[in-house]
This record gives sequence, C-alpha cells and structure tokens, in this order.
Amino acid sequence: MSDLARGNIPIKSENDIVAARRVVRDLATQLCFGVTDVTRVITAASELARNVFLYVGAGVMWWSILDQSGEVGLELTFEDHGAGIPDVEQAMTPGYSTSRGPGLGLPGVKRLMDEMEIHTEVGKGTTVMVRKWLRE
Amino acid sequence: MATRSKLSGTAALEDIEGVGPQAFLASIVECSDDAIYGKTLDGAILSWNRGAERIYGYSAAEMVGRPVSVLVPPNKPDEVPAILERVKRGERVSHFETTRVRKDGEVIDLSLNVSPIRDASGQIIGASTTARDITEQKKMREALAERAKEILDVSTPVLQVWEGVVVAPFIGTLDTQRAQQFMERLLDKIVQTNSAVALLDVTGVPAIDTRTAQHLIETITSVRLLGAQAILTGVRPAIAQTLAHLGINLADVATRSSLAAGLRVALDILNLKISTQEDQAKGAHSL
Amino acid sequence: MTNQNISLVKVRNTLLVTMPADPDDVTVTTLQEEVLGAMEKYRPKGLVLDISSVETLDSFFARTITETSRMVTMMGGQTVIAGMRPSVAISATQLGLTMVGTFTALTVDRALDLLAHPHPRRRIR
Repeated sequence: MSDLARGNIPIKSENDIVAARRVVRDLATQLCFGVTDVTRVITAASELARNVFLYVGAGVMWWSILDQSGEVGLELTFEDHGAGIPDVEQAMTPGYSTSRGPGLGLPGVKRLMDEMEIHTEVGKGTTVMVRKWLRE
Repeated sequence: MATRSKLSGTAALEDIEGVGPQAFLASIVECSDDAIYGKTLDGAILSWNRGAERIYGYSAAEMVGRPVSVLVPPNKPDEVPAILERVKRGERVSHFETTRVRKDGEVIDLSLNVSPIRDASGQIIGASTTARDITEQKKMREALAERAKEILDVSTPVLQVWEGVVVAPFIGTLDTQRAQQFMERLLDKIVQTNSAVALLDVTGVPAIDTRTAQHLIETITSVRLLGAQAILTGVRPAIAQTLAHLGINLADVATRSSLAAGLRVALDILNLKISTQEDQAKGAHSL
Repeated sequence: MTNQNISLVKVRNTLLVTMPADPDDVTVTTLQEEVLGAMEKYRPKGLVLDISSVETLDSFFARTITETSRMVTMMGGQTVIAGMRPSVAISATQLGLTMVGTFTALTVDRALDLLAHPHPRRRIR
C-alpha cells in the first residue's frame, strides 16, 4: 500500500473543525466518492476533529490518499497529546455514550468508515485513524 | 465420383475416388477442434487426436496405452469407472460437464460425450470420447449469472403505488454495499415522489440476523429523518419474535402482516379512504 | 468565505429558519439564540428548521437542534425539521443521531401543513 499524496492541518480552534470538514470534502469529492460517502467521511472527520478540540484543545489531522493494488482510499489520522482514553473498549461500546452524555461518538464513526484504529496511552495522547475506500 | 447426393454410411464413401472410408473418417477426427479419443473398457487410451493434444497438452505418443485416469483430478476418483460402466451397458453419456487436468497442471472445464465402440458383431469393445473445452464458456456463464443477480438486486424496484406512497421490498441478504445502495435509492425515491409513507415489505426476508436487523433499523430511522413514515409489512410472527429477541423496539413503527393492510394504514395517514360501494351509495343518499 | 447567514422569517404564525450549507459552531449556536429571541417576540405556534442546504450534520449540530426543539416545546411550540438530504439522513443515522422528539418533514411546505393541522398519527416518537 502506498500513499499518493498527504497533508495535515492543525486543530486548535473551532474554526479548524470547519477547515477539517472542508479539506475532507475537497479530497473525497476529488477522489470521486459518491455523495453519501462524501457526507460520511466529512461527518466522521467533524466528530474526530471536535473530539481533539473539545477534550484536548490542540492536535493535528493528517490526511493521505492511499493506493492498494489499484484501490483508492482516503485515510485520516487525528493525533493529540492529551490525557488519552482510559478505557477504549468502553468508549467503543454502542450505547455507552448516550447514557453518559455526548461522549466521543466512536462507535458511530466506526460505522461510517471502513476501517478504524485507535492507539492511546493515558497521560501521553491518542491517535485515531480512519479509512474509507472508493467502491465501484 | 459420388453418385448419391447424400452420403450415408461408409458404403457411400467407397464411391469417392481415391479416398477410403477409414481415411475419410480419420481426417474428420484429426481435424476436429474437439478432443476425440478412444479407450478400452478398462480405460486405456487407444487413439488420441490433434484436438486432444491441444486441449490436454499431451501428445498422442505420450497418451496411447496410458490410463485415461491420468487426466482426472484427484477429487473425482469414481468418475471414469462410472462412465465406463454405463458405456458397457450400451448407454451414451451426453453433455457431461466436468473438469480435467492438463499436462501443465491447469484444470479445465469440459463437456464430454462418451459412446460405446462396437465391433463387427455388435459387441462393445471400447468407448469413444469427444471432449469440448468449455472453460471460456463457463467463465462467461458465471459472469452473466453474477451480473444478472446484481441487476436483480440493484434494480429491485422502489415503486410508487399511490400518490405519496412508495413500496420497497426489503431484501435482508444484501451485502453491505448493496444494502447502502438500497437505502440511498429508497430515500432518493421518497424525495423524488414527495412521498409521505414508505412501505418496507419484509415478506421476502428469510431470516433476520443481527446485520439484517441493523440494516432494517437504519433504513427505518433514515426514512423518518427524511420526513416520511415507514411502515413494515409482511411481518410474520417468526420475524417479530426474532426482532424482539434482538432487543429491537418497533413501538413507534407501524407493522402489518400484509402489504394490503399496510397500504390501508398508509392511505389513512394520507387522509384518504378506500371507499367501498356501500360508502359511495350512502354518500349519494346524503346529498 | 461561504455564507454563514441564518435566515429567520415569520410565516403563518410560524418561525421559518433556513440554515446555510456548512454552518460553523458559532452559527449553530446563533441559531439557538435567534430562535429563542424570536419565540419570545412572536410567540409562534412552531418552528420550521429548513436544512435542505445543509451538507453535514454532526453531533454538535444535532444536539443543538434537539436542545432548541426542547426549548421551543417548553415555550408552547412544536419544531419540525424540513428537507434533510438523503445523504445526510443516512450519515446521521449511522453516526447514531436519531433526533428523538422532533418532527420531520420532506419539505418546508409539508412542515407548514403539519404545524397547521397536527395529525396525531404522524407524531414521531
């Protein structure tokens, strides 16, 4: 798997959440994702960027266009050096967030995307990577 | 010079100058694109034409005298004995589709016709096989079947059955991609027809597993968000039970066991009545 | 710079609010403030939120809508969300935003009809 292009935008203000949405919209549209998939990817990006801003205050969104044996994909990675997620399994349980308040919305983001990977360490930070592949 | 216009049987061939009947038949066999080979009733190869060389990759010299089982893939040990059994009884085996292994190891799809070879007294002394390579044909057939299935799935119609009502047969066994396409098509149709009600007919759903249930719930929810109302029709007790077991609450979704009943609910929502003859007569009187 | 303007008009004793395509957080918060102000001023029977131009509905936007809807209800009105795009409806559903407690309508027209003649069976729980 190789990446054809990559970039990043800092997330340190509310405006950056909008900026993230716009960058992702441009990328997804240029890659010819269908309108519903474009919306899915933007929505996922908005949620993850907001998590970074809301819970940590500062972070970065990396994006890259992937090529895996002819299949094109969009990868987004949200990185922060915050407190980390103490219990990822709990955060990934659907229904958990609704009972405790907004939460991180991670189960929903997973549903919107094709792949998701979370790396987190308490006291060090969190990296959330999501991917969406172009389908025929 | 042939005096008869139609050649029938080897007797007529003798009339063709310079060509003996055996040579004539031999050249037909040799030139054929199909593999034609003869074998003994024990399966030993007696003759091997050019078509067979091409299709199987073995030369005549390599094959004559060897057992035909050399060509058979290891997972079909009983096939040749079964065929030979039938031939011994005087039967013909026609259009038998199977696989064989070429000299280079490639597995190919073939259609076989096997018939008994009789001696002058009518005794069965061997078997003659004609094998046609249908690998390409089979690939095309499978591709067509796949496409037909896709067309059937993707074009499962979302029909507008009344002004403001659409009906969509809900197919539970769709893969993720087609399930997504189904939702998109349904919602687009609702917007396009400005419908207030969508009947999701689950009659054709064989079983509700977790994935189907999730797809169903998502469909109902997104129809609702759009601004239309979803009604489930064709709900049999078994389906209702499974949904309950999965913890799915359909309290805010109207369900009916038949499409007709669902349509009545839809029309009621749209404030229309299916008036019966009686109603119409009453109406006339009240005027 | 895209249009961040919310349009708010009073139509048939109803508040009609039209949202822009990709409102930032400030705009979304303004929605709530403007609606509450107008509810106070006009005491309409309902709010129609036209989101037909909206391309993305994330959890913040959805939460603000449901909060606003709750406030409108407390002030004696009803809220109808109109014109959600299919792609937005699907994404919102899959993200888990169900917008419980709000009415929805295909178009602004339908939304206004709904508020004018509330049909008991069309209440979405």
